[in-house]
Amino acid sequence: MKRLYRNAQIASEDEPSLRRADVLVEADRILGVESQIGAVDEAEVIDCEGRILLPALFDLHVHAREPGQEHKENIASCAAAAIRGGFTGFLMMPDTRPAIDNGGVVQTVLESARSTAIGRGIYTSGAITKGRRGEELAGIAGMKKAGAVLLTDEDAPVANPQVLRRAMEYARDFAMPVASHGEVPELSARGSMHEGSVSYALGLQGMPALSEEIGIARDIRIAEFTGVHLHLHHVSTARGMQTIQRAKERGIHVTCEVTPHHLMFHHEHVGDFDTSFKTQPPLRTPEDNERLLEGLINGTFEALVTDHSPHTEFEKNQDFATAPFGITGLETALCSLYDRLIHPGRLGWHHLVRCLSASPRRLLGLPAVPIQRGGIADFVVFHPEASTRFDAATMRSKAINTPFLDQTLRGAVERVIHHGVELISA
Amino acid sequence: MTPRKDLLDIASLSDEEITFILDNAVPFKDLFRRSVKKVPTLKGRTMLTLFYEPSTRTRSSFEVAASRLSADVTHFDVEASSIVKGESVIDTIDTLEAMRIDYVVVRHKQSGIPNLIARNTRTSVINAGDGWHAHPTQALLDAFTLRERWPDLAGRRILIVGDIQHSRVARSTSHICRRLGMQVAYLAPGSLMPRETPPEIKIFGNWSDAWDWTPDVVYLLRVQSERLTEPFFPSAAEYHRHYGLTDDRLRILDQRALPLMHPGPVNRGVEITDAGMNYSRSLINDQVENGIAVRMSVLYSLRPEPL
Repeated sequence: MKRLYRNAQIASEDEPSLRRADVLVEADRILGVESQIGAVDEAEVIDCEGRILLPALFDLHVHAREPGQEHKENIASCAAAAIRGGFTGFLMMPDTRPAIDNGGVVQTVLESARSTAIGRGIYTSGAITKGRRGEELAGIAGMKKAGAVLLTDEDAPVANPQVLRRAMEYARDFAMPVASHGEVPELSARGSMHEGSVSYALGLQGMPALSEEIGIARDIRIAEFTGVHLHLHHVSTARGMQTIQRAKERGIHVTCEVTPHHLMFHHEHVGDFDTSFKTQPPLRTPEDNERLLEGLINGTFEALVTDHSPHTEFEKNQDFATAPFGITGLETALCSLYDRLIHPGRLGWHHLVRCLSASPRRLLGLPAVPIQRGGIADFVVFHPEASTRFDAATMRSKAINTPFLDQTLRGAVERVIHHGVELISA
Repeated sequence: MTPRKDLLDIASLSDEEITFILDNAVPFKDLFRRSVKKVPTLKGRTMLTLFYEPSTRTRSSFEVAASRLSADVTHFDVEASSIVKGESVIDTIDTLEAMRIDYVVVRHKQSGIPNLIARNTRTSVINAGDGWHAHPTQALLDAFTLRERWPDLAGRRILIVGDIQHSRVARSTSHICRRLGMQVAYLAPGSLMPRETPPEIKIFGNWSDAWDWTPDVVYLLRVQSERLTEPFFPSAAEYHRHYGLTDDRLRILDQRALPLMHPGPVNRGVEITDAGMNYSRSLINDQVENGIAVRMSVLYSLRPEPL
């Protein structure tokens, strides 16, 4: 069975402009990408006039909540949300209950992932320390053997530098990146939003940019000292990003990621205590939005990540300080990035393909999935002229804690093809 | 002017609404000089006080205000209620909704709780102080007290002294003073001064600079030692010496004939001395009395959503 995607615009990480081409798929492979492919026997023809074909997306930062918090999300609902958003792979965070901190839990979550339609695309990270408590090392060798691909304590950064040093020295020989959420917990303790003019006006305890700036600088220094590959989670401050840039210039093995919401939103969006803008790290300033977007364009950031963090409606409908941190992102990422940044001409499709598909895969040692002859058929058919409304009835995630709830954004994911199979068809 | 449902903070009030509340408080205050201090304005309506933080003064002030408007007053006893058993605020509100309360007066240690309640009920919500966020009736009574002193406040200077960082009074009172054309300055130890304050507010770190600014009125804040979980200053004695209204500073206040305000209750020996409490130009008692008139005016100005 062959399928011919005709008259499409192909996006790639190498070229700023889209390339008009026909794409022929058979089984899980792309047989050809030509400016014009003639009639093919027994091929289903799909007219992609006006559509953009993107290499399928990969999210390096997802909270799937399984095991332990399945009332918020589970791996199956998370995978469904991912597919709906154009992702055919993602990396799960270990902040589950219990934490993913030994080979057994790694095996359990990966088995659960295998039963979804994108089973081969779902990976897991493992905790650096047992229970993410920052005290004893987690079962690193066992997790590696069971399939973990990155180590992180995520939003509970290892506070004790000696523990982090030993963990990095130990992890180095298992060839896994060690990731860190740059933060000095004492500086942001009890805070619920960025410390600034809005935290003053709302009377909320602030989380100063300083906390992230120092956390990033410290972790880079320890990584340099130990020689481990350090990956920095969801950078939110311009100065934190500049510290990373300087480290890269000095040849230190450090990579980093940024979320769409830290490019699009800032602390003023919190408005009247709107908990759908309560995230960790917090939304910063308009100036930070601009600098981080520059960092995405100039290649400082390897990855755009959604930091998909589902919570129930009830949990989010509390006062701002009490409500949990986090917003969902798998379903809205592509449309929101198109609507807010690509359509207005502030970001190119090649940046998006690099940071939301190719580069995050490479960071984990996985092959990228460019749309090219002989490649794996792993791509998304996106319709830029259509629109998508995000509401509780149609979203696939169990959670609806997104700033885009009940909003309509430009663009629609029409088809998602994973290993040649159409998971979503128009 | 359409009556509003809730009073959550000063920022959401229009200039017209502020004037309306302050103007209407005048005849309510005149009522206090009569032997019968009650009007039938809110007869048949019910006001409930929901205080998650103890406050005898503010709660009594609201209760007296409601009684003088002939409203029925009831108190939701938080200590004895299921809130301490972990019931969420939203669940409590469902209960109140079912009771058909008209006005609920809320105090809570978390900023934004009144906003959350207001979004989830038909009842008129009045913020009686939430976290560090807002204390709008305090701000209105402060403005009323200042207007009694100076009918036109434009250009007058108010110096607010104390723990600005953790003070909802500082935020709300400075806001209303600016709206009424006053100039505002904060004086606090650096560790209790927010990093970003509105640019129109002057910032001082010591009394000497603050005196040079020539304030027209000094407003002392209570040092909430019980809420200070970090080492913001070395000791109450050192705070008093450097930032409190010492007897020496009281003399300057007296020489310049400046009025003194404080939202109460005071910490004698910390932000103020015994002598300060007896200061002849103190407006502290006026603030208490005016609080009732202003809260009557607030209740009068709000309209719950119909059933």
